Amino acid sequence: MKELWSIFSKGILMENPIFVLALSLCPALAVTSSVTNALTMGLTVMFVITVNNMTISLIRNFVNPKVRLPVYIVSIATIVTVAQLVLQAYFPLLYKALGIYLALVVVFAIILARAEVFASKNNVIRSCCDGLGMGVGFAVAMVIIGAVREVFGSGTFLGYHVLPISYDAPLLLILPAGAFIVIGYLIGGARILVNRIEKSKA
Amino acid sequence: MSDGQHNESNDSIFKIAINLAMACFVSGAIIAGVNFVTADAAAQKAEELKNDAMKALAQEADTFTPVDGKEGWFVAEKDGQMIAYIVPAVSKGYGGSINFLVAVTSDGTVIDYDITSHNETPGLGDKFNQEPFKSQLRGKKAENLKVVKDPSDKEHIQAMTGATISSNAAAEGVKKAVEEVVQLMGGK
Repeated sequence: MKELWSIFSKGILMENPIFVLALSLCPALAVTSSVTNALTMGLTVMFVITVNNMTISLIRNFVNPKVRLPVYIVSIATIVTVAQLVLQAYFPLLYKALGIYLALVVVFAIILARAEVFASKNNVIRSCCDGLGMGVGFAVAMVIIGAVREVFGSGTFLGYHVLPISYDAPLLLILPAGAFIVIGYLIGGARILVNRIEKSKA
Repeated sequence: MSDGQHNESNDSIFKIAINLAMACFVSGAIIAGVNFVTADAAAQKAEELKNDAMKALAQEADTFTPVDGKEGWFVAEKDGQMIAYIVPAVSKGYGGSINFLVAVTSDGTVIDYDITSHNETPGLGDKFNQEPFKSQLRGKKAENLKVVKDPSDKEHIQAMTGATISSNAAAEGVKKAVEEVVQLMGGK
């Protein structure tokens, strides 16, 4: 049990997909201009990465190592397509809100990376924990970036005004270039935190 | 899964190809199965969603009837009285085409509009489907549907900060719909 917890929790800070592994920076730039968008994307990735990790773990003994990457991609694409079809049929509003993001999830580096690094070498339960942990870490990172950009870039949080209307928001933060700067500082901050924790352990 | 684990027979190109083909086949079968189950429900939901969108545009209307000879046009009626045309329109924005559904009265005034699909920048251009930008277009006629950058000009449409192209596109798309209605009414 303790081992499963450590697999789960390492994705949240010590191996955070965005802040420490620096994977999937593209969505971190593209869809973090508001907290709602960031959170939606984070939860979508969390779902896909967990299901994909479990699938890869289940089929890992049937996959020829020479074609493992194409097979992993096929698996991710299948999960995303099925999710898309189900959402379209039963939750059309959510499907509309996710829009283009859902299809983009197929090519996220972090999902393929966890399939290759972890799920292809571990059993289903461990892979599930790893996927959940990485997914939560990804979602948390996205929401933090989104919160910084939304509060200081448009003066709102989840669409509600938190700064006075007279606040003259710098446009830079809303543009992708501003996201790069924000992520840079946050990666720096995460690095300091991780180093501290490692030192205190040693 | 390390390289040393698999023997030579696993390396033949045929086996590798079969392996990948099987994966694709299973994937295709799963997707086809899910699609078979959900296709009907999806079509039904899409129809409902479209009706809801039209209801939101012309809230007083109780029936929507398609217009003959005009693809995608609807007449919104209340107790048999026509109150608005629901008109689809397209315009070109910053990230490609934008699709509109506009409710226009017979004298060419905008009641409301909805953007059904677009690819504008999230957080910037996509605010054209939200307040306060949206309310600027309500009640406007074709000649006032023009984007200006002078904040004191209340007759026209104020551009959204940092998204002039998207603002222009929204005004233009709605204007097209209004002009089509005016043309239709004038032709009668």
